[in-house]
Amino acid sequence: MVVAGASAEVTRSTRDNPVRGATLTLREVSHHFDLDGQPLPVLDRISLRISRGEFVALLGPSGCGKSTLLRLVAGLNAPSAGSLLVDGEVIDGPDPSRVVVFQDPTLYPWRTVWNNVALGPEARGLLGTHRERIEDALRLVGLTGFANAYPHQLSGGMSQRAALARALVNDPKLLILDEPLGQLDSLTRITMQSELVSLWQRVGFTALLVTHDVEESLFLSSRVVVLSERPAQIRAEVVNTRPYPRHRGDPHLAELRHEVFARLGLDATW
Amino acid sequence: MSSIADEVRSGPKPASGFLASPAALSLIGGLAAAAAWCGVAAITALWPDKPESDWDYTGAFAALCAAVGLALVLAAIAGVRFTRMRRVRQAVPWLLALALFVAAWEVITAKLGWLPLPFFPPPQAILEVIIDDWTRLGEGTIASLRLLATGYLIGAAIGFVAGVAIGWSRHASYWIHPVLRFVGPLPATAWLPLAFFVFPTSFSASIFLIALATGFPVTVLTWSGVAGVNSAYYDIARTLGASQRFLVLKVAVPAAMPHVFVGLFMGLGTSFAVLVVAEMLGVKAGLGWYLQWAQGWAAYANMYAALLTMALLCSGLITLLFRLRDRLLSWQKGLVRW
Ligand SMILES: Nc1ncnc2c1ncn2[C@@H]1O[C@H](COP(=O)(O)OP(=O)(O)O)[C@@H](O)[C@H]1O
Ligand SMILES: [Mg+2]
Repeated sequence: MVVAGASAEVTRSTRDNPVRGATLTLREVSHHFDLDGQPLPVLDRISLRISRGEFVALLGPSGCGKSTLLRLVAGLNAPSAGSLLVDGEVIDGPDPSRVVVFQDPTLYPWRTVWNNVALGPEARGLLGTHRERIEDALRLVGLTGFANAYPHQLSGGMSQRAALARALVNDPKLLILDEPLGQLDSLTRITMQSELVSLWQRVGFTALLVTHDVEESLFLSSRVVVLSERPAQIRAEVVNTRPYPRHRGDPHLAELRHEVFARLGLDATW
Repeated sequence: MSSIADEVRSGPKPASGFLASPAALSLIGGLAAAAAWCGVAAITALWPDKPESDWDYTGAFAALCAAVGLALVLAAIAGVRFTRMRRVRQAVPWLLALALFVAAWEVITAKLGWLPLPFFPPPQAILEVIIDDWTRLGEGTIASLRLLATGYLIGAAIGFVAGVAIGWSRHASYWIHPVLRFVGPLPATAWLPLAFFVFPTSFSASIFLIALATGFPVTVLTWSGVAGVNSAYYDIARTLGASQRFLVLKVAVPAAMPHVFVGLFMGLGTSFAVLVVAEMLGVKAGLGWYLQWAQGWAAYANMYAALLTMALLCSGLITLLFRLRDRLLSWQKGLVRW
């Protein structure tokens, strides 16, 4: 099924376990930066509704404003215009229920993997009661043996998994992923994509993923939001009702991929 | 490094045999150094001093050199059995050079009398001072250490706090930064006349000066460290629910620590200079004062002994700071050239 247009009514994802995620609503969100006194428009009236437990991918050319949008959702910056709501409440700052996994793992080099993962609980004074959970998160991403290693002793994939554990340990209702797999080699990438899906299915958070990889967006998400060049506008939404776990060879995914490329204006090359 | 090299070399080596093994090399090197020091002892003891300047401690100095030689023999032999002792081997070139230097010094001063006295006393004269005057040297060392430690710790603490404040808060930066820019580059010793006049005791005046000399580099480096922290580190912590306090203490400070240590090293260097000047000009105690006193009495052997003690003190403190850094910043080991 393919639904185009920003106002498309979205069907719920096809998961059967209880959903703990948050809803996210963007109303006419615009944002601009100041560049040498000149306003640089980056986001142009973005409106979006994400339901509880949905996995939505934002797909757009590099530099179009995807990371900026995620920073607004995370509460790290305030929008120039429009409003963002989580579970009906206006976002007015960062909150541990909305955790970002950045493009760069940015682990603290002076902390061991364990202490990096413990960052959230420690920041909120919950270290005493959360030890078990930190161990669980490390096990989940397969880094138990590296708890005492320093970040410079990890490979790129391991660092990214540590960053994922650092986010998950906070039990987020909304997980914000900014091209988290962009720097990984294709093999690690495919493994981590599958891991992400099974994690999401098990935990039940709402996920908002930024990517510029069409296959990745279709493999992971139940809805792909296609953005235009900067200033980003929503160009189309492509809904993917295929049940999870998906198979990369699924001919339906290939059809959807064609559709997404068309929305990106790249169908001539297909 | 050396242990790896040793391990590599102690692998199978068919042709060369025992003589090329690390054990043999360290034995030969150690024995050579030992022989050199025994040679110094022999020259000192057997070659009579120049008649008109008969030194009291020539025998004691010869005994000391012989003792060094004997210790090296023991270390060389122990090195055959215990790999730990083989570290002596790395010091062998230095031990040989030092033996040569001491022998030349001994011959030129005590034996031949080529250098004018009292400006260039022989080694046994310095040994004499160390043996006869060690109580005053020790007291001087303790006094210097007390003054330096107090001033340095106060200066480092204030500098650290000020640096973090400037790096973190706009208000603190607005008020402290101009003061720092204006007053900071002034050498702390320029305050000396004023400080001795304003402060009740010369000791407190010196503490102020040392603290000032330490505080400036520590402030500037801490500040630049905090200002240079990757802003993504803050973003991460903020999305995870960190308070301002957490951002300062658990993100800014640890991230700035490598810079802070550069400031601490620079501060330690300048604080030595201020310490000696303050002791020479105001405080009637400490190694600087001892140096001044020795010069006044033309007691040049005492001066050399005081200089030697001072060098040991300063390099000891620097080593201590290096150890502290190695402990606190061990996470850097894989990131920078250590
Ligand atoms: N803090 C900033 N100040 C000024 N311009 C910025 C800032 N952050 C991003 N931009 C600009 O906004 C545009 C969108 O950036 P970004 O959201 O990072 O794009 P992407 O879609 O690749 O994640 C880019 O042109 C970038 O130069
Ligand atoms: Mg980006």
